[in-house]
Amino acid sequence: MLEIKNLSKSYGKLKAVDGVDMKISRGETVVIMGPSGCGKSTTIRCINRLTEPDTGEIIVEGKNILELSDKELLKFRRKVGYVFQHFNLIARLSVLDNVMFHLVLAGLDRQEATARAQLALAKVGLANEWNKRPGNLSGGQQQRVGIARALVGNPELMLWDEPTASLDPILVREVLDVMEELVQTTKTTMVIVTHEVSFASKVADRILLMDKGKIVEAGTPAEVFGNPQSEIGIKYQRLIAS
Amino acid sequence: MLGFFRDGFFKDFTVLMLVTVIIGAIFSSGVAWAVDSYFGDTIDGMIGEYGEFDIILHIREEAREAAERELKRIAAEQYPGAKVDQTITIAGQANFFFGFPEEFRTREVMESLPAIFNGIPGINGYTVIIEPSILIRGVHSSVRTELTERIEAITGVRFAFKDGVNMLVVLEDMQYSRDVTEQVNQILDEYQILELRFPIGFEVDTQLTGEEVIDIIENEFGPKLLKNVTSLEHGDDLDAFLTALVEMRNFLLSYASKVRIQADPNIHLIVGERLVVQGLSDAKIVVGEESAQDHLVIEVLAVEGQNAEGIIIEGSIAAAQDTIKQDIYRLRSDGLITERVGSVELENERYKLEYTINESLKLLHELDELAHEAHLAVDNAEAILDVFQEALIQLDLLQIQMRKLNEGITQGNAQSVGEQLIISLLLNGLFKNLAAANEEQTETPIETLENLDIEAMRSSLVNIADQIANVQEIDVQAIIYQIEHLRDSLPQMEDEDIGKSIRLINTYLAGQVIPGERVQILVEGEPLDEKVMEPIIREGLDNPYVNTYSVSAGMVNPDARSEILRLLQEIRATIAGIMAVIFTIGILILDHATIFSTLKWVLGNRRKIFTWIFGAIVGSVILTLVYILSGAEIPYVSIPVVIILGLMIGFIVVVMAEKFSPVDRNEIMAGQALGLSNVQIMREIVIPASRPGLMNLLNRWKQQF
Repeated sequence: MLEIKNLSKSYGKLKAVDGVDMKISRGETVVIMGPSGCGKSTTIRCINRLTEPDTGEIIVEGKNILELSDKELLKFRRKVGYVFQHFNLIARLSVLDNVMFHLVLAGLDRQEATARAQLALAKVGLANEWNKRPGNLSGGQQQRVGIARALVGNPELMLWDEPTASLDPILVREVLDVMEELVQTTKTTMVIVTHEVSFASKVADRILLMDKGKIVEAGTPAEVFGNPQSEIGIKYQRLIAS
Repeated sequence: MLGFFRDGFFKDFTVLMLVTVIIGAIFSSGVAWAVDSYFGDTIDGMIGEYGEFDIILHIREEAREAAERELKRIAAEQYPGAKVDQTITIAGQANFFFGFPEEFRTREVMESLPAIFNGIPGINGYTVIIEPSILIRGVHSSVRTELTERIEAITGVRFAFKDGVNMLVVLEDMQYSRDVTEQVNQILDEYQILELRFPIGFEVDTQLTGEEVIDIIENEFGPKLLKNVTSLEHGDDLDAFLTALVEMRNFLLSYASKVRIQADPNIHLIVGERLVVQGLSDAKIVVGEESAQDHLVIEVLAVEGQNAEGIIIEGSIAAAQDTIKQDIYRLRSDGLITERVGSVELENERYKLEYTINESLKLLHELDELAHEAHLAVDNAEAILDVFQEALIQLDLLQIQMRKLNEGITQGNAQSVGEQLIISLLLNGLFKNLAAANEEQTETPIETLENLDIEAMRSSLVNIADQIANVQEIDVQAIIYQIEHLRDSLPQMEDEDIGKSIRLINTYLAGQVIPGERVQILVEGEPLDEKVMEPIIREGLDNPYVNTYSVSAGMVNPDARSEILRLLQEIRATIAGIMAVIFTIGILILDHATIFSTLKWVLGNRRKIFTWIFGAIVGSVILTLVYILSGAEIPYVSIPVVIILGLMIGFIVVVMAEKFSPVDRNEIMAGQALGLSNVQIMREIVIPASRPGLMNLLNRWKQQF
């Protein structure tokens, strides 16, 4: 479903992503892990062109995303659910509006959009919080709203950019629970960037380890964490062991 | 960058720009207008509405009511539609506005103002406030006519007219003020009055000196348009007065006693020096002593060789009838007699004139009597002639009778020899007496009598009678009356009074007319540098003391109200300009900075130069259009400067956009990730989150959430 070839992205002299290649099948859940600044978030942002890569190809369903027109790009993005590290909710809108507004702007009937939004909120356990402002919710709840917003469009691909990184450890669990459930109940292809090793071990079909902008190791959780080949893999193994 | 606008935000942005410019122009001009209106109302309250009145008449307070009645009568009868209004009274002086109807706002009417308002009770004068106008102060009379013609040919000038020594240029509209002022100044620059000032007491013949100076200039700089305008500087009225003074001086000189001086050899008399004569005083002149009070002091008026003329400035010879011949001496200013300088002849012309008039009057009186007596004599002579003629007839008859008697005697019928003898003797005696006056004649007495032309004599008498009648018809009494009146009108002045008067007139004339201490030359075209001219003229006139100055033929000086209004207009335009700048800065910071911030983030650092250019252009467009549309005009700030200023403001706001109006990048990124277009991101995410403002307000119509 998704193939990335020789993806590179630099910020000035810093090479954030350096010739990344990957291939993800439909319905597959791929977790990208690595130390901070290794280029995993940049990679995931390049997939829906929130960050424009310098070189490479990103092929989704046979189409190079980097060659899409503005209109096609917007259409593509609507098929991709994206969960941000910092939730990225619209502060002035209610929870319900945050979840549904892009559907309405995309042309969906408001009533249907509302129904779908309410369903999505129910999925993340926030059916009763629909009329609150994001500022009145906890970090975990806000992230769940973010997840509902990503889900409501029935995306074919979901990109998770460290969804628990900015949460208190206490709140991390409620988000991971939702994520686990979604992975298990939906057939959506997922690319998850996270530091949660246990979560990754549990949900990932495949784990990609990145270091210095490159994928240094790839394999099933058992392969990567059981018999790591890379320096990063070994570090993760030690982490699990400790 | 264009992609940011392409999907629909361009329209939103265009509308925003249009509304921004319109509101900016309204705001800037509105604030400026409010300030202008406030000050304008204050001025209007003091000196009337703009263009409503043409004159302020100053009236003594006690005559206010009468003046108002008369002004209203003039307005109603002579200038239907004219406006009269009373304004403030200051220090016992009431002031009235008078505004002519449009059809009477002409040069002819304005130049007739003294005649029109001369009869207003209690009038102290008037001030012309016709608007809009430009005042040219001190217009030299030599160029006034030409200036008027040239100024009236300028676009925007309605007419120009003389107001005393000034000229008022009435404009068609206030907007022409600046252009007309510039053009009038250019015209005035073409005229230069080169003024030559001579030291005090150094009198010159202004006419001759003027011509001499013109020759000097033309010899040095080639032919030029030069004209001696010295005598024209005061205007017609003063010229007439000065002419009268000259005539009066001439009269006094002829009326004064004649002083003819014959200087001794080797004595040089100087014009203006004082001499002394004994006159009719008993005190003799003694060299080395002071002159006596009743000595005659004489001032030398003119010198020609050893002959000189003078006037008596102290003392008098009123009682002298004949010519006085005496020695004359030099008198020092301290009254000391220094030396004999010659002899003098003094004649009292005044006395001679009076004497002659009195004699003429006597003659006239005698003539009247003589005519009367002559008339009576002629009448008597005619009566005698009648008697004489009758006597001749009788004599003829007597002669006939005598002849008959003689024949009778000869024929013997005479009565007696004795009677014949007596008759014969009587007749012979009679004829002898009658012919006594004509003894030389050969005729007999009878024949002589008979040959007298009685008719011719009568005719002569008639002619004489007619001429006497003509003389009697002359109104001798009227002549006598007028000559007496003339005699009585002659100034009762002593020599001293006359001399002092002549000296006073000379002193005054010395500073005003020929001869004078100032010469003015009109230079047309290329002006002359007085600093260059001065040494040339000094050398040419052989006078190292003459100073040369350059004087303007007139000086443009907008009248007070026009100047105030012009200042107000400048203030209004300046305020509008400042408001335009403030508005542009404000609107860019409050509204457009949000767009700049978004654009900067969307385009990223690598393409930030496009954001800078965009911001600078936006700033420049807003400021320039608002500046122009609001009628702003800041002194020394031209449109190119405004464009550059706008570019700078826009650039600065773009550079600091995130500080003025930060955008939530996470929200924008969320919008992008959710597949929202740029216009949707702006309408639903960025703008609603920005400060309440114009952009926010306009966005409400399109905002869905």
